[in-house]
Amino acid sequence: MQTTKSTLLQKFGHNRKLRAQVCNQRERLYRIAWSWCHDQHLADDLVQETQAKALEKLDSLREESRLAVWLTRIMANIYRDHFRKNREETGLEIDVAIEDETPELSTDRMQLVQRTRDAIASLSDDQRQIISLVDLASFSYADTAKILDIPVGTVMSRLSRARNKLRERLERPIYHTKQKVVPIRKPS
Amino acid sequence: MRRNDDLELNAYVDGELTAEEQAEILTAMQRNPELAKEACELNNLKNQLKLAYENPPGISSSSATPNKTPWYAIAASLVMLAMGLAGGFWMGTPANHSDRFVMLDADGRGQAPSTIDSPETRIVFHLTSDPEDVAAEELLDDIEDMLSSYKKDGNPLRVEIVSHGKGLSFMRERLSHHKARIHELATTYKNLTFVACKNTIDRLQVEQGVEIKIVPEAEVIDSGVSHVVKRQKEGWSYIRV
Repeated sequence: MQTTKSTLLQKFGHNRKLRAQVCNQRERLYRIAWSWCHDQHLADDLVQETQAKALEKLDSLREESRLAVWLTRIMANIYRDHFRKNREETGLEIDVAIEDETPELSTDRMQLVQRTRDAIASLSDDQRQIISLVDLASFSYADTAKILDIPVGTVMSRLSRARNKLRERLERPIYHTKQKVVPIRKPS
Repeated sequence: MRRNDDLELNAYVDGELTAEEQAEILTAMQRNPELAKEACELNNLKNQLKLAYENPPGISSSSATPNKTPWYAIAASLVMLAMGLAGGFWMGTPANHSDRFVMLDADGRGQAPSTIDSPETRIVFHLTSDPEDVAAEELLDDIEDMLSSYKKDGNPLRVEIVSHGKGLSFMRERLSHHKARIHELATTYKNLTFVACKNTIDRLQVEQGVEIKIVPEAEVIDSGVSHVVKRQKEGWSYIRV
């Protein structure tokens, strides 16, 4: 009886720890989610659904050390089944573009950030997912394959294509659409 | 470039190859500078992407980039805070970053500076990250202003700058861009001390296989962490930069 009680308590404590770990992954998941959809509200919903689902089926987590892969896989499934279907018709829009007039944009860094985000937005959903999992979340090819449920070879070829396309986009010259023109007038 | 080469090069920059495969790529790169250039560009692309998604909308900047707030802004406001307290008045709003710094009393409780009851203001700055040049200059400016103002008013003050971990580069003979300034300040103000952590020096020497030299003005102590803890216990105000 005593053993059963202590086992139960251990399990309870263990589950609490795991739950806390799931909750602590919010920011990491949000970054990945936002890089997939470039939409703040959608990314929020995606993370919330992922965490809710994960907490619901916590017992199915086999290896705790692979919590991040497990959670991201859940998120990828939700994204594929619900979110992506709805967005296929509308395509990707960047919800928060950095405004032209903000002081931050004057810095090279912000221009670079905006340009990179624009280039990534132009990739296909599949390519964007791969590139964000490998480069942003630093998952291995094997883990990325597991998360997206595709062979490692597909991860490699998709990643290579995505990077080539991205480089091509980033190498294009920037055309300034808004130019300030100071009219030259003859002194009256 | 052949398709397979392309995949392999991507795998190389992603750290996916075995030691043998890596060696092969490295040898190929020595023969073919184009390949090396390609690998370098891929690596840059990875870094660029990380930068682009470091701080997406919807994540507060404080949680997204805990170390990105200019350290001199925090330090400067804390200097103002310390000056205000010692002089019995507030020089300004003590910054909105109160949650970002640690200022403990002698028993390690709370955030109230322990110097409030002490006739001498004692502040230890703990440099744990490599500051940008402008930021470091601004911090030194603030500290100098403070030292000069205290000196003028005849108020006792002691300031220590302890460098540790990545912050050590600030005091490294070869890397520091502030050697002249450090020398000038240390010569002018005897109540300002620069301190370098020996543990960090030893670790870097092993990791990098080079001799780490510290500017002559800095005193080398065994452990930067133990030193700042000691200072806190002695009642110094602690400012982590």
